[in-house]
Amino acid sequence: MKANRLKTILGSARVWTVLVLAAWAVQVQAAATTLTVWHAYRGKEKAAFEKVVANYNKQAAAKGVEATTLAVPYDAYADKITAAVPRGKGPDVFIFAQDRLGGWVEGGSTVEPIGFFLDDKTRNQFLPSMLEAMTYRNTVYGLPLNYKSITLIYNKKLVKVPPKSSGELVKLAKSLTDAAAGRFGLAYAYNDYYYHAALQNAFGGRAFDPGPKPVLNAPQNIAAMKLLLKWIRQDAILPAEPSTALITSLFNDGKAAMVFSGPWFLGEVAPGLDYGLAPLPTIDEAGGKPMRPWLTIEGVYVAMSSRHKEAAYDLAKYLVSEEAGLVLAVEGRQLHTNKAVYTHKAVADDPVLSAFRKQLDTATPMPNFAEMTVMWSPATTAMNTIVRGAARPEVALEKAQRTVEKDVAALRKGR
Amino acid sequence: MKLRALLTQPATLGLLLAVASGVLLSEWFFAQAQDELLAERQERAVVMQAMALADQVAAVEAAAPDSSAPRLAALSRAWSARFSDIVAIRVVRSADAQFLASTDPRDVAPLPRQLAREEKPLYDLGQELRANVETNAAEGVFRKKQIDVARLDRTRLRVAVPYAVGGQVLGFVQVEQRVAAPALPPATGRVAVAIAAPIALFLLAAAAAWRRGRTAPPGRPWAQFGVALLLLGAALYGEARDGLAELGARHERFAVELAQQYTAAKREFESATQALAVKAVTDNRWDVDDYQRPRAIIGADGSVDRIALADELGARATRVTRGLWGNAALSVLVLGFVAFGYARRLRLTLVEHKIAYRYVAPAILGMLVLVFFPFIYGVTLSFTDTTLFNENLPLRELWVGLKNYIVILGDFQVIRGTEGGWVVNYQNFYWTLFITIAWTVCNVTIGVSLGLLLALALNTKGLRFTNVYRVLLILPWAIPNYITALTWRGMFHKQYGVINQVIQMFGGEPVSWFDGVFTSFLTGIATNGWLSFPFMMVITLGGLQSIPQDAYEAARVEGASRWQQFRHITLPYLRPTLIPAIIISVVWTFNMFNIIYLVSGGEPAGSNEILITQAYKIAFEKYQYGYAAAYSVVIFMILLVYGVFQNRVTRATEAIA
Amino acid sequence: MKHVTAGQRRHVALHLALVAFTLLAIYPILWVFTLAFSGGQSLVVVDLPSEPGFVDRLRSVLPWPKTVSLKNFADVLIDEPFGRWLLNSAIVAGATTVLGVFLACTAAYAFSRFRFPGRRTGMMMFLVSQMFPGTLMMVPLFIIIVKWLHLGNTYAGLVIVYAVTAIPFCVWMLKGYFDTIPIEIEESAIMDGATPAMIFFRIILPLAKPAVAVTALFSFMTGWNEFILASIFMEEEVSYTAPVGLRFFVGGFSSQWGYFAAGSIIVSLPVVALFYYLQKYLIAGLTAGGVKG
Repeated sequence: MKANRLKTILGSARVWTVLVLAAWAVQVQAAATTLTVWHAYRGKEKAAFEKVVANYNKQAAAKGVEATTLAVPYDAYADKITAAVPRGKGPDVFIFAQDRLGGWVEGGSTVEPIGFFLDDKTRNQFLPSMLEAMTYRNTVYGLPLNYKSITLIYNKKLVKVPPKSSGELVKLAKSLTDAAAGRFGLAYAYNDYYYHAALQNAFGGRAFDPGPKPVLNAPQNIAAMKLLLKWIRQDAILPAEPSTALITSLFNDGKAAMVFSGPWFLGEVAPGLDYGLAPLPTIDEAGGKPMRPWLTIEGVYVAMSSRHKEAAYDLAKYLVSEEAGLVLAVEGRQLHTNKAVYTHKAVADDPVLSAFRKQLDTATPMPNFAEMTVMWSPATTAMNTIVRGAARPEVALEKAQRTVEKDVAALRKGR
Repeated sequence: MKLRALLTQPATLGLLLAVASGVLLSEWFFAQAQDELLAERQERAVVMQAMALADQVAAVEAAAPDSSAPRLAALSRAWSARFSDIVAIRVVRSADAQFLASTDPRDVAPLPRQLAREEKPLYDLGQELRANVETNAAEGVFRKKQIDVARLDRTRLRVAVPYAVGGQVLGFVQVEQRVAAPALPPATGRVAVAIAAPIALFLLAAAAAWRRGRTAPPGRPWAQFGVALLLLGAALYGEARDGLAELGARHERFAVELAQQYTAAKREFESATQALAVKAVTDNRWDVDDYQRPRAIIGADGSVDRIALADELGARATRVTRGLWGNAALSVLVLGFVAFGYARRLRLTLVEHKIAYRYVAPAILGMLVLVFFPFIYGVTLSFTDTTLFNENLPLRELWVGLKNYIVILGDFQVIRGTEGGWVVNYQNFYWTLFITIAWTVCNVTIGVSLGLLLALALNTKGLRFTNVYRVLLILPWAIPNYITALTWRGMFHKQYGVINQVIQMFGGEPVSWFDGVFTSFLTGIATNGWLSFPFMMVITLGGLQSIPQDAYEAARVEGASRWQQFRHITLPYLRPTLIPAIIISVVWTFNMFNIIYLVSGGEPAGSNEILITQAYKIAFEKYQYGYAAAYSVVIFMILLVYGVFQNRVTRATEAIA
Repeated sequence: MKHVTAGQRRHVALHLALVAFTLLAIYPILWVFTLAFSGGQSLVVVDLPSEPGFVDRLRSVLPWPKTVSLKNFADVLIDEPFGRWLLNSAIVAGATTVLGVFLACTAAYAFSRFRFPGRRTGMMMFLVSQMFPGTLMMVPLFIIIVKWLHLGNTYAGLVIVYAVTAIPFCVWMLKGYFDTIPIEIEESAIMDGATPAMIFFRIILPLAKPAVAVTALFSFMTGWNEFILASIFMEEEVSYTAPVGLRFFVGGFSSQWGYFAAGSIIVSLPVVALFYYLQKYLIAGLTAGGVKG
C-alpha cells in the first residue's frame, strides 16, 4: 500500500519536474525583453496606437523584444508618472505632452535624455519646431509624436466662407448673433489662457521671456486683452462663462456658428453636422499678423526607471516613423510630426489633417519649462477678472505678474 | 542582597539606560561628523586635481580644437605620472560626442573617437554639466551642481569638472583617484569610561546614603534623580569635549595636507602649461565646492587662512553640537521616564489590559503605518524649503525651521485700502480660513438639519413607501460626485443654467452666480448640502433605532407633547450617534476638495478657495512642497484644536447615563 | 376611527412634503439620466426661442432628452471592459467592507466595554487621523504600499489603504452604538456561561445591526468610489477599478459626457442595491420587552 502511494507520488513528481523544466525552457526562449508603454489615449486613438505597437512587436520579435501598452486615465496620468518613475516602478516608454517636461527635468529621475541616440536622419524627419518642444536646456529628452493646436471650426450651414481677418470675423459673427435667443456667431473658451494665447501671440505677447522671466504684464498682452474685451462687450459676439462643454453643446445645437478649438473637439461634434476647418484669422489690430495658437506636442519619452533604455529608444523611434505615423494619422486621427506622413495621399487629401497641418505654419510650441505651471492659475484668475469686468487689463495682469514673479523666485533659491 | 536591591532600583536602571544611549548616540554623531569631514577632504583633493586639469584642457582646446587629442593624451599621461594616486583621467567633448583622451586602459583605443553606445552616461554627464552651468548663469543663482562627484568605494572617487572654451562649456574632464581613508582609532576606552564611571559613582553614593541610615531604596526619587542627572551630564559633557577636540585636530591636519597638495599641483600646472596661454595662478581657483565657488581657505601661495579655517570648523561643530543637545535632552527624558517609575508602570499596564490592547491593536497599527508615517513625513517636510527644483538635496540642507509657519500665520494683510474702496487679498491665509469655517458651519448645519428632519419623517410609524423614499434619497450620495458636481455647476450657468431659468420664470433677474463672492459661495453650499444630507440621514436613521419605544410610551402617558418628546427623548438618545457623525462631518467638510474645485473653482479671483484647495495649488502648481506641507500641518492643527475642544464640551466618547 | 383618519391626514401631508423634497433632491440626477439616455455626448443646454415665455422656460428646465437611446449604455459596456472593472471594484470594496467592519467592531467593542489607559487617546487618534489632508500624502503612501510592502498592482494594497481610511468613522459609530446597549445583557450572559466570542457574535452584533449596516455601507462606498490611488497603484488595464475606468471618458482635452453619465449610473447601481439590501437592518430596533427581561 505504502509502496504504491510512494510510487504514484514519485511518478507525479517526475512528471511535474519535466513540466516545470519544459515551461522554464519555453519561457527562456520566449521574450527576453518586455517593454511597457503608458499612454492616455482612448477610443480610436487607443485602437490605432495598439495596432502600431502590435506592428512593432511583429518586427521586434526576432530580437526578442515585446512591448505592452497600458492606458491611464488622463486625470491620474501625471500623478502616476511622478509617483512611480522616480521610485523605479514605472514604464519603459511613455507618451506625454511637452508641458511637464521642464518640471520633470528639474525634479530629476523621470525622463532620460536621448540626445545621444539621436542621429541626423531622425532629427531631420520632423516638422519644424517639433524637436524644439522636446528639448530643455539644449538637451533632447523625447521624440515628438503628434501635435495639436486650435483652429477655426465653422458650421458650413451657417458660414459659407470662413473669415480671413478679424474684421471679417467680427462682421460675420455679428450677423449670426442673437444673444437673447442664445445664438452666437463665435464661441470659444476665451477665459482659458491656452486659447487666449493664440490671440496674444498675434500681438507679439508672451507669458515668459527667455530666462525664463515672466512678462505677463507686457504691453502686447494688454493690447490683446483689450481686443478680447472689445469682442465680448462692444461686438457682443461671444457667450458668457464659456466652458468647453458649453461650447460643444452650442456648436452641436447649431447655436454657435464658429468655434476656435482643436482636433479634440471634432470627436464631440454631433454626427451629421457639416463642419469646415480654416486657419485662424489675422488680426487687423495687430497689423495684420496671424493668430498664432500654442502647439501641444505629445512626445515619446524614455523613462529613467527603464531597464532597457536602448530597446526603449528603438520603440520610440518606431512610433515616430513614417510607417507608424500613417496608421496613427489615418486611423487614430492624430497629427503626426513626421514630414513624410503628409506626402501620402490618404493624409494629404484628408480635410481635417491637412487643415491642421496648414495651421501649423502659424503656430508656435507652448513653452515647456517648469515655471509654466506656476503661471496658469494667476493667469486664469486674471482672465476671469478681466472678462467679468471686475478689473482693468493693466491692473489684473500686473497683479498676475507680481504673483508669478514671487512664485518663480521662490523656486529659484540658490545655495 | 543589598547590591541587587541597589542595582534594580529605578534610578540606577534609568541612569544605565540613559548614559548608555546618550554616550552611544553621541559617538554615532561624532562618527557621522568625522565621516563627513573625511569625505569632504577626499572630495576636495580630487576636485583640485580635476579643476587644474580642466584649466589645461580648456587652454589646449582653445589653442587647437581639431588636433587637441594628442596633446591632451600627453598632458594626462604626464599628470598621472606626477600624481601616482590618480587611477584614470578622461577627457570628453560632449558637444559633439567625442572621446578625446583617456589614461584608462579599459577604454577602447584608439582615441580620439566617437563615444560608443555603452558610453552614453559620459555623454549625458557632459550635457548635464553644461546645462547646469548655463542655468546657474542664466538665473543668476547657484542652484545646480556644476561638478559631479561619484564615490566608487571608500577609497576611490570620480570627479567630473566641465571645461569651457570661449564661454561655452564644451565637455568635461573626469578624474578617478585613490584617496586615503585613514581609520580613526576606536574610542572604546572613552565609551567604557563614560558609561561605567557614572554608574559606579552612583552606586557608591547610593550605598553610602543607605549605610548612613537613610531610607532603604527605592526612596527619595528626586534626590536620586538629581544625582543621576549630574552624573549623566558630566559623562555627556566629557564625551562631547573629547569628540570635538578630536574633530578639530583632524580638521586642521586635513587642511594642511590639502594645502601641500595644492602647492604641488600648482607647480606641476605651471611647468606643464609653459607653452600654453593660460591665466597665471594668482588665486586659488581650484579648491571649490560643488557649484565651482572658491572655498577661500587655501591661498594662492599654498598658505592656510586660519580665520576661514576656524570659521569652517565652527560651522561644523555647531551642527554636531545641535545634535548633541538633542541627544542630551533625549537622555534626560529617558532617565526621568525610568527613574520615576513610569516605565515599570507602563509595563504593568500593558500586561494588565492585554486583552483590550489586542482588540484594538490591528486597527491602531494600520493607522500608524498608513496615516501617521505619511504625516511625520509631511511635518518634516514643513520645516524645510523643499521645492520641485531642490527636492533631490538632503533635507538637512533645506532646513528653515519655522519660517514657513511664520509666513503663513504672520501675514495679516487681509484687507487693503485702495482708491476704489477696500480690496481683500484673497490669497491671504486668514481670509481662506474664514471662508473655510463659514463653508464648514453652513454645510454641516444644512446637512445635519436636513438629515435629521428626513430621518424623523421616514421613521414615522406606519408610513408607507419608506423604502422607495430612502432609496431615492440616497442617490445623491451614491452617484459619483464628479458628474453631479459638474451638473450643479451647469445649473448655475448665467445664461444656460436652469436655476436662472427658474428665477426668470417667476419674473426675477438672472444672477451671475460665479461673479460675486457670496453668490459663488452659495453655489458650493447648495451642491455640498445636497451631497451630504443622505449620509446624515442614514446615520440618524440608524441612531433612531437605538431609542427604546417604551420611553415614548411613558412620555405619551404623562402627556408630553411631540416637541417635548423630541427634545427630551429623541435628541439625548441620538447624541452618541449624532455627535461623532457631526464631528467627523466637520472634519471632512473642512477638507472637502472636490466640490470647491469642480463647482466654483474658487471663483471669483480665488475668493472662494478653502484651505485644502490652496494647499493643493501650492503643492502642485507652484511646486513649493515644503510650504504646502506647512499649510497642511496648519490645517491639521486647526482641526485638532476643534476636535479636542468639541470632545471635551460634549464628552462624546461617553455613553449617556 | 377618528384616530385613523387623523393619522392618515398627517401621513398625507407628510407624503406630500416628502414627495416634493424627493423630487427636488433627485432633480440634478434626472439631468444625469437625461444625458445618459440621450445617446449623445454633449451636456444639455437650455434651448429657448427669442422671446421665451413661462411655458418655454418650464419646458427647458424639465429634464427630458431630445432623443431617447440606449447607445451610451451599450457603448460603455461593450467598448471598454467595464464588466471586469466593476468586478474588480466589487472585490476591492467587498474586502474593504469585511476587513474594515471587522477591525472596527473589535476595536469599538474594546473601547466601549473595557476601561484601559489610553482609551480616550485612542479614540481621539482615530478622529485625528481623519484630519490630515490626504491629497499631499500620495507619494508617501505609494512608497509604503508599493515599495516597502510590495503590494503594487494587487487588490490587497488598495484594500488596506481603504480599510484604514474607513476604520476611524466606523469605530466611532460602532462605539457610540455599543455604548447604548446595556451592560446587563452581557452580565447575564456571562452568568449563563457564555464565552466572550459568543457574547460578541450572538448578542452584541445582532443588537447593533443598524450601526453595522451604516458602517458597512460607508466602508463599501469608501472602497467603491476612490479614484486616484486606484489608478496609481494598478499597473494593468484589467486590474483597474470602476472609478478609474469611468475617468477614461473625461479629462484631458475632450470629454464624452454621455458615456460618463451612463457609466456613472452603472457604477452607482451596486451601491443602491447594497443600500436596498441593508435597509432592513437599518430599521431593526431594540424591542422594549426583550431588553429589560
